[in-house]
Amino acid sequence: MDVTERRQVALMLAPYLAGVTALVVLPALVTFALAFTEYDLLRSPSFVGFDNFRELAEDDIFAIALKNSLVFAAVAVPLRLAGALGLALLLHRRFTGVGLYRSAGVVPTIVPEIAYGLVWLWLFNPLYGPINLLLRWHGDSPTTTAWGVQPPQWLTHPNDARAAIIIMSLFTIGEGFVILLVTRQGLPSELYDLAALEDATAWGLFRRVTLPLMTPILLLLFARDTIFSLQWTFIPALIVTEGGPPPYSTTYVPLFVYRNAFEYLRYGYAAGATLTMFLITAVIVWLQWRIVRRWRKGFVVAA
Amino acid sequence: MSGIVLEDVRKRFGETRALDGFDLTAAEGELLVVVGPSGCGKSTLLRCIAGLEAVDDGLIRIGDQDVTRIRPAARNVSMVFQSYALFPHLTVRENIAFGLVVREEPKEVVRARVAEATQLVGVEALLERRPYELSGGERQRVALARALVRRPDAFLLDEPLSNLDAGTRVEMRTELRRLHREIGATMLHVTHDQVEALTLGDRIAVMDAGRVRQVGPPDELYLRPQDRFVAAFLGTPAMNFLPADAARPFLPVPDGTVLGVRPEHLRLVADGVPARVEIVEVAGSDAFVHVDRGLVSKVPSDGRPAEGMQVGLAIDRADAHLFDEASGARVEWT
Repeated sequence: MDVTERRQVALMLAPYLAGVTALVVLPALVTFALAFTEYDLLRSPSFVGFDNFRELAEDDIFAIALKNSLVFAAVAVPLRLAGALGLALLLHRRFTGVGLYRSAGVVPTIVPEIAYGLVWLWLFNPLYGPINLLLRWHGDSPTTTAWGVQPPQWLTHPNDARAAIIIMSLFTIGEGFVILLVTRQGLPSELYDLAALEDATAWGLFRRVTLPLMTPILLLLFARDTIFSLQWTFIPALIVTEGGPPPYSTTYVPLFVYRNAFEYLRYGYAAGATLTMFLITAVIVWLQWRIVRRWRKGFVVAA
Repeated sequence: MSGIVLEDVRKRFGETRALDGFDLTAAEGELLVVVGPSGCGKSTLLRCIAGLEAVDDGLIRIGDQDVTRIRPAARNVSMVFQSYALFPHLTVRENIAFGLVVREEPKEVVRARVAEATQLVGVEALLERRPYELSGGERQRVALARALVRRPDAFLLDEPLSNLDAGTRVEMRTELRRLHREIGATMLHVTHDQVEALTLGDRIAVMDAGRVRQVGPPDELYLRPQDRFVAAFLGTPAMNFLPADAARPFLPVPDGTVLGVRPEHLRLVADGVPARVEIVEVAGSDAFVHVDRGLVSKVPSDGRPAEGMQVGLAIDRADAHLFDEASGARVEWT
């Protein structure tokens, strides 16, 4: 690359770099700095060293929020990836109306989060929400399902509420679905022809050909979705379950940070929680990336 | 091993007739090369025989069995693809064993067959490597070993040498010939490369627009092409064609015919039909002399004329071919 080309590249990158610096890097640095202060927006920040982190380590609510976030990611991420993969494999072929189905797979992802949350608030309503109306259909009594049990209390029972947030996350898989769709379409058709000549069953084909060839991308999506999942819970927890039911059943770290910062005006403490979550996320992604690296070589050839 | 018979096979893709009444028989143990220009239906032909495409009409037999409507795996054929189709996540050993493992053959059988196939194509040293660590020639050998390992009734080779560099292609051509002689299998090899076809095949079938134009031993096709398409397709540079009027200074050609003469049979002589040399291309021991009548003569390099020279051209009747102007069919001299 000569000097002119380098200048052109720098010029083209400049708006993006300026935006990232102003909107991501600087606020992140400020947040990191605030993590070592006590700050309530009224008085100037005062340096407190590692006090916020010590308090976080002893804070039961933060421990619950952290556990909720990690459990959510551990359950939701595999289910989201399985859903995206299933949709991609189902819809990678051309048939009448496939465009409509593919669009349907993406639409929930592009709906504004607040609207998405409000829709689910209605869907999960225990009395008139369509989910429970459906579950109670043909029930023995107005409050039981056809198989004689009480339907889930989505907004009032701790486990049901946590399940509700996971269910909500299973429909915002549009990006993963599109990436996996393109990946599947890019796999060489000769490999499938060969497998057909060798009498591979549908399951054998998936296990021996499709899954291994898509695994590198699945692992990348796994890392990406983990980061996404640790942040995604904020709007659903705020709008649908409001962090409850008690005791903090759906209070995840993003909601914990929001409440400390904007309701209790403890900016320094919230920044400390944010930094802790950032470090935990970084460690998880680093571990995942180490696994991904092993697969990359094979995939380059496959692609 | 079994022969392959195709009778009046038809396959359409929308308005395109990929196979349009295709008839061909590959005898048991024969290496038959199907050659034709790109898009003439060669790959579709192999895919139909393998069962990867369903035919619209006609009959396909492998050995004594009518396989026209049965699933690919039940046809017991192996296919080698232009792209090699090796699984990038498997080692060479796993790639070769793939078909046997999928069919759940006992481990000892898999081990013995893989050893046998790898020895036949000489890839014993590569067994633990992955495809990205292999050269093009090595990949093609592995693909061949994978085709061999299952001991199929017939082999279908879809332009297996096209992705190789010129040197490796020549080497693999010889290797294929040797392999065929050693295992005596029925092989149907499709290619667009006429040199590959002429050097490799026991017989050649020239294909155009979904039909067979001529089938026969390579020298028969080269020396007695049954129509103008076959005459033009085989040979480098291509055969010269002269309409009756333009051909008459050379030979008494009947009306309604076209004279065809291969470049090596268009002789440069002192007292021939006069022409001016426009371009001379030297290709090693041979030179291609382009003259102003739109003709090309192939002469030894050391006897080539200079560009701009006046030369005389002559054609012997024994070397000249006649084709019907309208149908392109061969016409015998009277």
